[in-house]
Amino acid sequence: MLKGKVSLDVTNLDNFEYDMSKCIKCKGCYWVDHIYMPGVNFSTRCPSATRYVFDSYGAYGKMRIGLAMLEGRMEYSDELLKTLYACTLCGACDVGCKRNLDLEIELSLEALRIKAVKDGKGPMPAHKKAAKKITEKHNRFGSPHEKRNKWLTKDIKVAKKADVLYFVGCSAAYTNPEIAKATAKILNAAGTPFMLMPDEWCCGNMLYSVGMIDEARELAKRNLEAVRKSGAKTLLVSCAEGYRTWKVDYPKMLNISTDDLGFKVVHLTELVDELIKKEELKLTRPIDMRLTYHDSCSLSRLSDPWTPWKGERGKWGMVSPGLERRRGTGGVYQPPRDILKAIPGVELVEMIRMKENAFCCGAGRGTIEAFPDFAAWAAEQRLFEAKTVGAEAIVATCPWCKDNFARVARQNGEDLKIYDISELILASIEG
Amino acid sequence: MAISKEAYKVLEAIVGEEYISSDPVVCEGYRSGPSGYEAGLGYERVMTKIPGGVILPLTTEEVQKIVRVCNRYKVPYVPYSTGWYGPRSHCHVDDELLIDLKRMDDFEIDERHLYAVVGSGVIYSQLQEEAMKRGCYIIVGGGGSQCSAIANMLGDGWSPLSYRIGLPHRRILGTELVLPDGELVKMGSLALQDDPFWGEGLGPDLRGLLRGFTGLRGCLGIVTKMAIKLLPFQPERLTPTGISPHTALELPSNRVKWINFTMPSKESMKKAMFEMARAEIGAGATKVPIFWRAIAKASCKEEYWDIWSKESEETISGFHLLRVLLVGFGSEEQMEYEERVLNDIITEIGGEARRTRPTDESWFKNADSAGMWLMCGGYVSVDYVIETLEHALPHGENYAKLKRKFTPPLMPDYGDPGWFQSFELGHQGYSEFLVYWDPDENTDGVDHFYLETSKENIRKRFYTSLLGPHQPLYLTGPAYGPNYHKWMLAVKDEFDPNFLSHPPVPLAHDEFVEKAAWMRPMKDWKSPKLP
Amino acid sequence: MTVKSKLREIVGPDNFSDDPEVLDKYSKDFSLVPAGVPNYLVKPKTAQEVQKIIQLANKNRLPVVPTSSSVHFNGAAIPKQGGVIADLTRMNRILEIDEFNRRVRMEVGVTWEKATRELAKKGFRLMMPLAPHPMRSAVIDHLEREVITNTVYDYGEPMQSMEVVWPTGEIFRTGSASVAGYPDSPSKGANPSGPGLDFYRLLQGAQGTMGIVTWANLKIEYLPTIDKVLFAPVDDLDYTTDFLHRILKLRIGQECLLLDNTDLAALAAENWPDDFEELRATLPPWTLILVISGMARRPEEKLQYEENMLKDIIKNEFSEIQLDNNLPGFPGMGRKLITVLRQPWPKKTPYWKHRYLGGCQSIFFITRPGMAPQFTDMMEEVAAQYGYPVDDIGGYIQPIEHNRACQMQFDIFYDPDSEVDVELVRSLYRDAISVLASQGALFTRPYGELADLVYESATGYATALRRVKKVFDPNNIMNPGTLCY
Repeated sequence: MLKGKVSLDVTNLDNFEYDMSKCIKCKGCYWVDHIYMPGVNFSTRCPSATRYVFDSYGAYGKMRIGLAMLEGRMEYSDELLKTLYACTLCGACDVGCKRNLDLEIELSLEALRIKAVKDGKGPMPAHKKAAKKITEKHNRFGSPHEKRNKWLTKDIKVAKKADVLYFVGCSAAYTNPEIAKATAKILNAAGTPFMLMPDEWCCGNMLYSVGMIDEARELAKRNLEAVRKSGAKTLLVSCAEGYRTWKVDYPKMLNISTDDLGFKVVHLTELVDELIKKEELKLTRPIDMRLTYHDSCSLSRLSDPWTPWKGERGKWGMVSPGLERRRGTGGVYQPPRDILKAIPGVELVEMIRMKENAFCCGAGRGTIEAFPDFAAWAAEQRLFEAKTVGAEAIVATCPWCKDNFARVARQNGEDLKIYDISELILASIEG
Repeated sequence: MAISKEAYKVLEAIVGEEYISSDPVVCEGYRSGPSGYEAGLGYERVMTKIPGGVILPLTTEEVQKIVRVCNRYKVPYVPYSTGWYGPRSHCHVDDELLIDLKRMDDFEIDERHLYAVVGSGVIYSQLQEEAMKRGCYIIVGGGGSQCSAIANMLGDGWSPLSYRIGLPHRRILGTELVLPDGELVKMGSLALQDDPFWGEGLGPDLRGLLRGFTGLRGCLGIVTKMAIKLLPFQPERLTPTGISPHTALELPSNRVKWINFTMPSKESMKKAMFEMARAEIGAGATKVPIFWRAIAKASCKEEYWDIWSKESEETISGFHLLRVLLVGFGSEEQMEYEERVLNDIITEIGGEARRTRPTDESWFKNADSAGMWLMCGGYVSVDYVIETLEHALPHGENYAKLKRKFTPPLMPDYGDPGWFQSFELGHQGYSEFLVYWDPDENTDGVDHFYLETSKENIRKRFYTSLLGPHQPLYLTGPAYGPNYHKWMLAVKDEFDPNFLSHPPVPLAHDEFVEKAAWMRPMKDWKSPKLP
Repeated sequence: MTVKSKLREIVGPDNFSDDPEVLDKYSKDFSLVPAGVPNYLVKPKTAQEVQKIIQLANKNRLPVVPTSSSVHFNGAAIPKQGGVIADLTRMNRILEIDEFNRRVRMEVGVTWEKATRELAKKGFRLMMPLAPHPMRSAVIDHLEREVITNTVYDYGEPMQSMEVVWPTGEIFRTGSASVAGYPDSPSKGANPSGPGLDFYRLLQGAQGTMGIVTWANLKIEYLPTIDKVLFAPVDDLDYTTDFLHRILKLRIGQECLLLDNTDLAALAAENWPDDFEELRATLPPWTLILVISGMARRPEEKLQYEENMLKDIIKNEFSEIQLDNNLPGFPGMGRKLITVLRQPWPKKTPYWKHRYLGGCQSIFFITRPGMAPQFTDMMEEVAAQYGYPVDDIGGYIQPIEHNRACQMQFDIFYDPDSEVDVELVRSLYRDAISVLASQGALFTRPYGELADLVYESATGYATALRRVKKVFDPNNIMNPGTLCY
């Protein structure tokens, strides 16, 4: 809808006709912000366009393709599905566009996937397999649901009731238990009681991300009710993907605002940073390491809170009522850095592409399932960048990032160490 | 739509199957519009098509082979570096091959001898950063950081920094050009040696074939490599600061400074520019169009309109802002000297310095050029002319009068007589007119305005950017030179006898006028039947 | 009507000649290019006359060789295939001096002497090569890309728009002079580029093969308010090159050049030949000359900060450079040189290149400044092979654009009246250019036999040039036998 009633409802692609039709091909969605452009190397932040080269893989191509889909000029094909799905929805394009133009690129991409699913053509077969696992076993790996809390060791104190509910997530529960353990122990050490979900299910990140919005919404309703029932004031996560799913996609799917969730969604790094600054947590044990920090997309540029919006678009494309765009400005960029700087002995060296310019690890939002080679390639790019700045280790705030980096590092025989920030925080508390 | 199977097979063998496609999804991704520079207008709707195939070469040799195959199998083609220039850089005919040059991103830099060698895939912000790391700088053309450096050097290449470092024509050094028949011409020192440091020809200078004033859109060959002159800068770092969307370069105030001055009149701005040039100070001197200030202040489109709608003819006619750039190229003392001289000049003329942010979003990295579309969704610089300040000011006034007749659909600008600057230490002046419209409304008026501008320039004897491929060649041709079009077409005929390189450029706008019903009544010049 | 009578009709009988004695003067020049006799001489006064001459030439397939100066050093105006000499020295008007836009529009017959004099009256100057002959055409010297002594203006060449008569006979204006009715237009002709193609580039360095330029717009600069001429004796060219890389990037100075003892002596000597011999013997091997200047406002302050910059750099980085406002042992050199650098050579004095032995063959090319010592060595080796005294070679290094490149020039002095000398220098020259070219000397202005050397190595470029030439000069009448045509 170019003029007239419009909303940010992703279930109707028509809402993004304006945005898709106004892409000017400046490729701000592809290049690192020109102010921060580091030179001829490490100059892009769109993994899809960088990997697959044709314009169709950048947002500038996808907006045109999306418009063709909306106007019924595009038939589904393998190539179309690959174009839509070989993409981590990392938000670099959205933030890049909004530096100057304020087009809703990310929402358009989400809406395109939702349309593909609605049309019975999407998502990718690997997504359908994973979706089945989520439905049956409540986790994306298809592992036994009853083993979800296996990561819990006896030395971890879990409260029956507390203000803080730690939502562990599938990855930390099953493939990266070190993150769950570290998070829990940090909370214990900080004297912050926490509870767990009585019956934790997958947050539905992948389902929403690949366009299976109906399934994702059902899961969201179920999970939201469970948290509300627990009386938690804060939902704590140690997974960036989960952070974004709870904070942004749940309200989006349910047509409410982040504030209306009834609790705060907080990432471990936000909490720990606050505790350190209040001197309620001290990081005293030195870690002698030159490390670099990887901004996980969903914690950084994708994490501005959600407010539903509907209104009208008129002359010159102006909308009313006014709309506060989500531009990635309010992402969690500084707290993880402050934490790392607070660890004695750590030498923090920045990646060439950092903060809102970070290059996605390649794993998230359905990519690792359907395009493992692409995910591996993206991780390789990022690991190479880490080595270029002379880092011995790379630190992330998401098990998806850590997992992908670690797998690729292992496969390639890299000696770069891969950490989740929770591990380093814990090491600096406990030793 | 399809490129012949035989041709496709041979092309595939040249680049490998990973780098060629005729898939409709891939091709749709290369559509010109509906938005972009000069898009959302009649030319884009009528003249552009999606490619029949896309190919991505890596080397000059591959480009040559591709062009030769196109000649063999009569496949029309268009070279494409970023696609940023808008419809004029996209396919215009059916079954056309789009040669996407983005993989050609080789880069070398010689800071001692002040040049960088780039492929078509290198963009300005990359080049500028590499230059600045080494105490040098370049001009990032008005099109912005995202321009392919080569493409912009061939069709534009100026900014307020041209006050000091001049036209792009002299910054093109050793260059490789693949002619439309596939022959390779190496220009400058590359003609004789494997060293691109020098640009002038061996005898006559074949760089004459590269661009003209505002470019040839690739209809006379494909530049695959260019050495670009760097200019010495100053040693302090311009530090990137801020989080998107509020990012900017922080300027080292002891060496780089923009200063805004409110001036009593337009004439006084011209005088200030003249005096600065006479004193040979400064690194940039430009008038600031008032609506840019509204863009800079606004946090979104709606806020822009809120600010802009409060302006009027009165406020516009009373607003004269001169923006001056000082750079301490040699030393802090030099900058202090220039600032003293500048203050002398401004005081004499009756201007006043305003508080100016010590940051830059334009023009060193020119990161905000895409913001030109924020206000309305449609934008083009209708005319941008390098001549003298004495040309720029009346050109602006004349243009503002003409523009009134076409507002709406153009965005109201309350008679703002355009943007003007001083170039080459006052030897030249520059005027540019940016127009905006809502592309979702009827845009025929914008198409008419464009052509009317061309006619008005001819009537009033102004020089113009609307030459060559920009407007009907048979309209402008007889009026400039006279008959420059004859030479252009003769050269085109010599080097592209099959008319395969970006057809029907340079006659594309002529064809547009013939094809578009709303344009035909404007045709009052003679032309032969178009090929 | 015969060709002769038609030519007489076009320019008037007083401006036509086929007298062998008159034609003989055009058959040779100060270069070693072999003589070539024209059939006719005409001296047009207007572009329309030029046009008619060219139209006639096309009809009759008659070569046309344009010349705008009364002296030539490179052989470009010597007819290779006979034809008509179109001598444009009568077209010598300064058409406009545009003070606001710092532009002069002048006909090609305007000499350096006239241009400098008239511009100075208004406080302006035209960028100049080193001590040009006063009777050379200022426009043509710029069209032929003579390298200027001033390195500070970043925007580069002074050439703007021009009027040309194409080899097909059309009168055409390039750049922003192409507007209808120019100069009666808001357009002043300040933009060299376009329309459509960059015609001006095709005319530059063309040695009259692409058309006849009748007038041009050129940028002019203000005469500085104050000047200081600084000198530094140079033993080590490499060290000095590093110094120049450092200071010229800071935009210090106006004129900046290096002259060897022979060339500097030839330029500076007053009482000839004693002064010359003494200077030559006592001057350092090379001398760096740097002029720093104050312009229109606060000139002393400008001078001061430039001096401070130089002082700091020399003190902290280049302590061996002894830059001073006099050359030790040579009082008054500054005053002498500022005149040399700001004025064409005085008419009454024999030209500096001819003062020593009467003749001089210059070899000039573009290169990276760091290559200067090697090329000097190569030149000396070739000279030695011919028994040519190395001390007699004049050397001139002109830094270009912040010293990113330079023009090297070797001046080989000889007695033109001695057949032995002439033959020796001819062979020496041939060998020298071959050796230098093979080691990367870039001969961008291939005069005479340099053309064969250059275009044989740049066949792709030559082919493209010929294709362009075919478009503009289908009958190949413009100065045929020149360049690669």
